[in-house]
Amino acid sequence: MTIHATECVMRMHDDHHDLEEYQGSIPRWCSGCGDNAILAAMQKLCRNEKLRPEKTVFVSGIGCSSRFPHYMKTYGFHGIHGRALPVAEGIKLTRPDLHVFVNTGDGDCCSIGAAHWIHAVRYNMNMTLMLHDNHVYGLTKKQASPTSPKGLRSNTTPRGAYLDPLNPLTITLGVQNVSFVAQAVDWIPEVVYDILEKAFHHKGFSFVRIIQRCPEFLPDMFDAWLHDPLRTLMLTHEKGLHLSPGLTKVYKNQKEHDPLNIDRARELASITDPIPVGILYHNPEVPRYEETRLSPHLRTPEYIQAGLESELDKFTVWPDEGPAARAAA
Amino acid sequence: MKGQPHGRLRKERVTMDIKLQEHVAFHLTGKRVGVTLEAPEGLGLRPALLAPYKDLTTLRYDFPLVLAKTDAAADCVHSLSAVIDNLLQEVAPRGLDGERTRRHVLGLEREIRGLVAEGAKGPLSDLWETASKLLAAKGSKELTASLARARAALKVDGAVIGCEPDTPARLLTHAWQFVQQTKTRAFKAEIERLIMKLTEVLRADFVRSDAGRSAEQLRASFGTTHADDFDFEALSRMLSEAAPKTALPEGRRQRIEAALEVLRSQRFFEARGGTETPHSFVFDSCAAALYAYRRQLPEMVELIKAVTIAELEIEGRYIDSHHHVYFEEFDANSLRPQDLNLFPGYLVCIRAAGGPMGDNAGLMEVLSLGLPVKVLVQIDDILEEPSVSDGHFAFNARSARLASMAIGLNEVYVMQSSSSNLYQLRDRILKGLQYPGRALFSVFTGASGRSAGLPPYLVAAAAMQARAFPAFTYDPSAGADWASRFTLEDNPQPELDWPVANFAYEDEARQKVSEDVAFTFVDFVACDPRYAKHLAGVPRALWNGSLVPVKESLGHDVNGFPEKVPYLMMVDRNEALHRVIVDDKLILAAQRCRDMWHGLQELGGIRNSYAERMLARERQAWEVEKQREIEAVRREARPATPAMAPVAAPSPAPAVAASTAPSPAPTASAQPAPQPSAPAVEEPKSDEASIETPRCTTCNECTLLNDRMFAYDENKQAYIKDITAGTYRQLVEAAESCQVSIIHPGKPRDLKEPGLEDLLKRAEPFL
Repeated sequence: MTIHATECVMRMHDDHHDLEEYQGSIPRWCSGCGDNAILAAMQKLCRNEKLRPEKTVFVSGIGCSSRFPHYMKTYGFHGIHGRALPVAEGIKLTRPDLHVFVNTGDGDCCSIGAAHWIHAVRYNMNMTLMLHDNHVYGLTKKQASPTSPKGLRSNTTPRGAYLDPLNPLTITLGVQNVSFVAQAVDWIPEVVYDILEKAFHHKGFSFVRIIQRCPEFLPDMFDAWLHDPLRTLMLTHEKGLHLSPGLTKVYKNQKEHDPLNIDRARELASITDPIPVGILYHNPEVPRYEETRLSPHLRTPEYIQAGLESELDKFTVWPDEGPAARAAA
Repeated sequence: MKGQPHGRLRKERVTMDIKLQEHVAFHLTGKRVGVTLEAPEGLGLRPALLAPYKDLTTLRYDFPLVLAKTDAAADCVHSLSAVIDNLLQEVAPRGLDGERTRRHVLGLEREIRGLVAEGAKGPLSDLWETASKLLAAKGSKELTASLARARAALKVDGAVIGCEPDTPARLLTHAWQFVQQTKTRAFKAEIERLIMKLTEVLRADFVRSDAGRSAEQLRASFGTTHADDFDFEALSRMLSEAAPKTALPEGRRQRIEAALEVLRSQRFFEARGGTETPHSFVFDSCAAALYAYRRQLPEMVELIKAVTIAELEIEGRYIDSHHHVYFEEFDANSLRPQDLNLFPGYLVCIRAAGGPMGDNAGLMEVLSLGLPVKVLVQIDDILEEPSVSDGHFAFNARSARLASMAIGLNEVYVMQSSSSNLYQLRDRILKGLQYPGRALFSVFTGASGRSAGLPPYLVAAAAMQARAFPAFTYDPSAGADWASRFTLEDNPQPELDWPVANFAYEDEARQKVSEDVAFTFVDFVACDPRYAKHLAGVPRALWNGSLVPVKESLGHDVNGFPEKVPYLMMVDRNEALHRVIVDDKLILAAQRCRDMWHGLQELGGIRNSYAERMLARERQAWEVEKQREIEAVRREARPATPAMAPVAAPSPAPAVAASTAPSPAPTASAQPAPQPSAPAVEEPKSDEASIETPRCTTCNECTLLNDRMFAYDENKQAYIKDITAGTYRQLVEAAESCQVSIIHPGKPRDLKEPGLEDLLKRAEPFL
């Protein structure tokens, strides 16, 4: 429902915030950490989209990346390990007016939080998840994560990781109701921003994996990709990523990919070298859980109380009259 | 039916001439002179095409209607026949048993139809019950079982109405209520949400106040079970000392309370816990609707203002210095039509039964305003006597032409129809009621009470068939042009002047005769005994070639003395066929009716004069062009004449060829102007230090090294802020530590810097 006068007044004094106004405390990430690039892109997005800080919330679990909410001057919830998504879903259900972002790492999301991740994809609630994937547990000083490459020597795998790494993209694309999957690399900040912008505008669960460097524990992990632009496969499309002339000149390995084509998206997601960067899948028609479950009732205190009493009455014995009779009265 | 076919001549020449003169005299003067003409009054004549519809209760047709109780506006009206058909599909499968059930249920339908025709009223469930009992009294057990089974499957219920004088108003009001319910649901819910949110703001303020933290309040909010275990005085003291004292500013509180008061006391919607009686929006005159609108407009303004303030307050975006002045000046001009459309619309049902349309001026005023009003003008009589008798028919001249006039207002949804067709046009009715602007529904009921023997349904249907009250719809929301907005498609055979139907009867030799008969305006007028004086019966013995069907007479204008007299085929109470000749006045009225119909046809794109003229012009141009081409081909086909230029001689290139021929190579003097070069981007020279800022990943390496030399721009990406604020060594170190190698140190500015030789070597990969 739109009232013309209300719209006019709302537009009359539109809030505008500079990027600095979204900056919370000073990041404690190591210098050179890829998290900084994601933080800068997100602050830029908040400014450009004129997101009101009091209407924006960042939710995280545990890990380096999960310090993200501290560095945003918005609402934030630094949760417990692997449980960022249930918290974010609860927020979205009760406050659908808020812009909800989730920051999680490869350990937080793909290991202890894997169950929540799978079901969050299936729920398709309107929020944007950033998977900060540096292939290692950094906060606990170099332990192998589910996405660590096979053979990686770490404190938990001193003889090298035994298993092939888990691919977060193919897993996400295999879940029912998936609606938005994209991949970025932190060393191309322009693309990080573009993808986050598209993810933000998608109405549904946007899964953005951002491959990032950990200069402390895996300093050379991505050097080969960093120094050879041909090892980055840019996925472009009129409904997907548009490269600027500058990037087109540098990143010549490009492929047009229709983000509605899920089969092709799954094929591309399986490629690890070159790294596919862009929007792999985007389907705006997938129903959203919070809308499917939307109650037409206004949640007044009286309504909530009546609901609670009705539930509690199921376990209560009324000596004189039953709950049905009381309700009728 | 007994009769005599048209065209059988009796050859009594002398007598015939005299009789013809009498017929012509009647046709020209309207006076029945002589003995050969019969007065039709008292014979109970009706047009031949209406002969099969003597008893409507035995026929299955749209009426009666069931005004259903449902949530969906689209399902709010059903035809009883359709309800029964759907029911039969469920309870009467193919086979003997199914057929028996079918017969029983159809019998019940007939019984209900009969009850409604006798004036029975009530919901379908009650009528079903009554009809079942009547049938059961004289029926078998099987019948009772069939009807019980069908009753159990019946899912539709609601008032049953026949085609009666109040049918249009009841149907429209019923549909309007559904549309209103859907339309206002969102606004009503929004008001309730705002009330809840504003109350929460006040409640939050209260619980943070001293009163909210008092021991009594804390005790009251705790419950009784363990209340004695707590020291609420201590709790109150602790909370009062610990919590910040940030009370709601008084101005804001007053503003919120004022907005809440307006939201709670509004009378446009039934509010939860509201104490005020809601406004009524159904009126029986335009003046009353207009008066109500003028009285309610300030309330609408206040409500919209309160909603806007509430939105701002809930969002925490009300800025006193900005918004106060705006709301001080807030008035009716601040609203847009779409804002008004959020409120319940106004429904005006006017009955123009007899007498002049006194409310016409009010109607036009209402339709001219931006008021979201839906007006039903119900016309019971379109053959009313003129207020000034000038010897002409007054049909369609006043109330019945309102719909055509309203189309001129351009933004009004207009629908005209007979009440007999309302069920068929239910989607158009709903669309008009849902249309965000004004709408006019002009409906002819046929309930003048002047058509002896014919039920209103037949009179209304006859008016539409005869083009006396054609059906049309003008929907401004359907598109920008007339082709999208206007439609005549709901009329029978809209491409013809008069609809034609086959009429079969038995002649004197008991042979079946069949012929196509047009239903004209004259047929419609002939149903009305008030105009019987314009008709005269011709005895069967005089049926001859001098009589022509009315349709043929209307087909061409006759100047001078007519040689043939138009006649109408009618049947009497005993189903005997009559030929009735018609006087000139009635023929002229029919011609006027036809001309009006032609006007509507043009609007509806049928025989549009503009289109036909354009077509003729284009056809002529095409023919001329073709003729030219044919001539050119013929000329080419002729043998070459000596006068023609020799083949070898170069002929001058035709202008078109010259213009399309490749242009000669540009000469030195005609060199194309140099393309404007792209704006020169100054590439940083390799001996100048630089950063590829767009590629910066904000990793802080360089800014940690020297935050006076390196800084972040508005996108938080690094650039060289002050090259003089650091050394060449710092530039090289920054380049080395940059994760994405986007810092280029260039050449040193200070050639005396220590260790320069080594630094230059280290800088080489980043130049």
